[in-house]
Amino acid sequence: MPIFYLNDKPVEFEKGETILKAALRAGTEIPHYCYHPGLKITAQCRMCLVEITDMGNGRGMPKLQTSCSTPAGENMKVSSVSEKAHWGQNLVNEFLLVNHPLDCPICDQAGECDLQNYAHRYGTGHSEMAYEKRVYGWRNVGSFLMLERNRCVQCSRCERFSRDIVGTHDFGAFLRTHELTFDTWGDSEITHKFQGNLADICPVGAITSRDWRFKKRAWKLHKTPTVCTACSTGCNITLEHHENRVFRVKPRENQAVNRWWMCDEGRESFPVLNNRRERILEPQARVKGELQAASWDAIEKAVAHRLQEIGANGAQVLGLTDTHATNEELFVFKQLLSEGFGSDQLYFPYRPGTQQEKPPRYLADTFVYSLITTDKSPNTAGALKAGLIGDEDDKRLKAALKAAPKVVFILGTPFVNDVAVREAVSQADLIVAIGTLHNPWVELADVVLPGHTHGEKDGTFLNKAERLQRIRPALDAPEGTRDQVGILASLLALLGKEPAPASAEAAFNAMGQQDGPFKGLSWEAVGPQGLPLGGAKPAQATA
Amino acid sequence: MAEETLLLLKNIRTPGYTGDLAAYQKAGGSKAWEKVLKSMKPAEVIEVLKASGLRGRGGAGFPCGMKWSFMPPPSDKPHYLVCNADESEPGTFKDHLIMLNDPHEFLEGMMIGCYAMNSHHGYIYIRGESQHAIKRVQQAIDELYKAKLLGKNILGGGFDLHLTVHPGAGAYICGEETAMLDSLEGKRGQPRSKPPFPAQSGFDACPTTVNNVETLANVPFILNQGAEAFAALGPANNAGTQCVSISGHVAKPGVYEVEMGHNLKSLIYDYAGGIRGGKKLKAVIPGGASAGILRPDEIDIPYDFDNLMKAGTMRGSGAIMVFDEDTDVVRLAERTIRFFNHESCGQCTPCREGTFWLKNMVRQFMDDAGDEALAKRMERAAFQIGGTTICAFGDAVSGPMMAFVRKFPEEFAKHYAS
Repeated sequence: MPIFYLNDKPVEFEKGETILKAALRAGTEIPHYCYHPGLKITAQCRMCLVEITDMGNGRGMPKLQTSCSTPAGENMKVSSVSEKAHWGQNLVNEFLLVNHPLDCPICDQAGECDLQNYAHRYGTGHSEMAYEKRVYGWRNVGSFLMLERNRCVQCSRCERFSRDIVGTHDFGAFLRTHELTFDTWGDSEITHKFQGNLADICPVGAITSRDWRFKKRAWKLHKTPTVCTACSTGCNITLEHHENRVFRVKPRENQAVNRWWMCDEGRESFPVLNNRRERILEPQARVKGELQAASWDAIEKAVAHRLQEIGANGAQVLGLTDTHATNEELFVFKQLLSEGFGSDQLYFPYRPGTQQEKPPRYLADTFVYSLITTDKSPNTAGALKAGLIGDEDDKRLKAALKAAPKVVFILGTPFVNDVAVREAVSQADLIVAIGTLHNPWVELADVVLPGHTHGEKDGTFLNKAERLQRIRPALDAPEGTRDQVGILASLLALLGKEPAPASAEAAFNAMGQQDGPFKGLSWEAVGPQGLPLGGAKPAQATA
Repeated sequence: MAEETLLLLKNIRTPGYTGDLAAYQKAGGSKAWEKVLKSMKPAEVIEVLKASGLRGRGGAGFPCGMKWSFMPPPSDKPHYLVCNADESEPGTFKDHLIMLNDPHEFLEGMMIGCYAMNSHHGYIYIRGESQHAIKRVQQAIDELYKAKLLGKNILGGGFDLHLTVHPGAGAYICGEETAMLDSLEGKRGQPRSKPPFPAQSGFDACPTTVNNVETLANVPFILNQGAEAFAALGPANNAGTQCVSISGHVAKPGVYEVEMGHNLKSLIYDYAGGIRGGKKLKAVIPGGASAGILRPDEIDIPYDFDNLMKAGTMRGSGAIMVFDEDTDVVRLAERTIRFFNHESCGQCTPCREGTFWLKNMVRQFMDDAGDEALAKRMERAAFQIGGTTICAFGDAVSGPMMAFVRKFPEEFAKHYAS
């Protein structure tokens, strides 16, 4: 690859790549506001000014150049730290603060604000602007967004996102000169499902998210990289939490899955992780028709006793799981049924997903619309790969239920809204439900075992394009709950069988040693960006 | 009054000239167009233009022939020639004069330009306020269609050409060529980041050349009389004549055509009749609002691109604004920055915020609350706007504002807080 010199250090670049892009890839920061790798380049904030002392032909550029729009050239000598470059960065920052309200103490963006950071790094620390500033009001611009136009640095990222990424054209530039403002047309509200991205790409606190407003200072948040479980796309996200509460979800760049974006449905899916009111917090067993809490030991003994009493095996033992279960849980669940009872009756609701949102006409790149699928669970592909039984009308499950199974294990909330299934299952002699929140299965179950939410457990999912992605525990699980892999493994142990792997890591490594979709893979191989299974379709393809 | 060197305004200065096609042809018009269509190849036209040394009259003074030669060879993309008739620089009114009184002259130049650049469609972007000019140019185009000098297969030479008049919506920045192209496309008029230059990706992302009205009006003369005849006028590198708009406190404001390199002082005293009311001269802005101001002792210089550049200002669009001894330079600075602040498109940070800040600083002087530090701060802020923006607007603010402070410190001192 050709090289150019940035601050006297050689930097490799691809032909046609801009100085800023190559610099960022090489890990050198050049300050910028309007540049975003996912948006068209406009070079209007002027923050990324650099000095080009040599264009590669021995001649320099007399004026400072914007590194976001200037292509790198062979042997070019560029400085982002020279006196002149600093002068440029300094002056742009000074000008940006001319009309900025400096309300950092009450601004949600503080702590992760580019203007704040750059003002510290490149600013002078004092202002000579002693006049009245231009003032606009703030208002809600959508179900998700708050617009505070005083803080705007006019980088036009919101306009470009609305125009080129979602194609709704709802943000536009109004007025000109220092009064230039970005706002929605005719004060209308934004209605598309990708609003949250506008809050992400806004480099300052002009567009902030409404449900995050005044909730927490940004610097207090712990960030755990994980995967969104709200649909089968599996957008890469970070769960941002503090004191064991999740406060927001932000997309994490993964070019193979979600690029820089995610949908609002995914962003709004986190409150379930904070739900303690409906959470099942301890193991319970039904005594004389009433669920009563008990210790794990007592419950396990009782379950072992009941199972022996019933003495069910083969097709008399049924497993039901939803597709929110991780691959590891499915693996151990399957093992529990086959080794414990000689049963292969593990059913799941098969609901293939399709693209949910229709892109507007004339939008060139409709990628972002492929992110939301109608399959609102993260692991349908994993359940299929694991060889579970499922069809769209649940015909096979209903046939199996006609044979009146004696023991039913339920993981999560599968078929929970199907009254006929609930009715048939309720006839069984023993129903063991493993779950996190109260649900109709709990009402029917003889034994309820509290598991972990996807914010608390480890494991992998297969997304719609069969990309293997790992979720990571962000929160501490409440005392008294156990992770599902461990629960299923201990159930198998109760039956006096060979113990199953009791952790997600062990379960995954066991899968890697067996024939199957994950053969040859190890736990470490699933990096933060996931892993496409062999023959995986590219993520761009719509499901 | 001293004699003008009449080349562009020859017809206009002829008493009784009506400006319609018949009158234009009677005065020798349309010959160049016929000659070009019948006997010249596009590349030959460009060579002639290059040899003539004609420089753009819109403000930047870029060699016209070279600009035309930047256009790529014919491809599947259409080529465009856009005539910039926005004429928004304060103090400039020469294009208006040409459009209203002799529209066929620059239209002929534009048609020749289209032929030279393989363009089959030209646009004339006239600012929306100038309804009279829009009507007049449209009339002239209708005449050309009627005379079959425009349209399909012109004069049987197999060349098709259409011209369209497009009214702008009245923004100073739409006189900047890329902002004008955006406006022409129906977008918000904002200068584009270059490269790509219009010759690669202009109107509708197709190769485009933008020329000023006066520049194009020179073209028929050059092709009729030859490049040498044109190059013989004016000093080296600044060939031809120029239409100078003189306004302000002079006895006879107006457009005067003189050779390039004519003395600036003589323009004011010999042509424009000197200062109104016999007063003394205080200052001259030699090239529209975006040119730096000159003191009376600095105006004894040749009026052309290179010499004014040497004097630290610019010829710009050839608009000379003259101010007599009663002028308050601070008020002039306030009026200037108010204009620039109002007209900044707001895209680039330095220009958007800088003009606002400068306006406030000058207003502090207007309130007699200035001091030396404030003058310094003004100069610094003005300096910071220059050269750090996408288009030349930043320089257009920076240059004159710095010149006001540097050249007339005593005027600013009058407004210090007592």
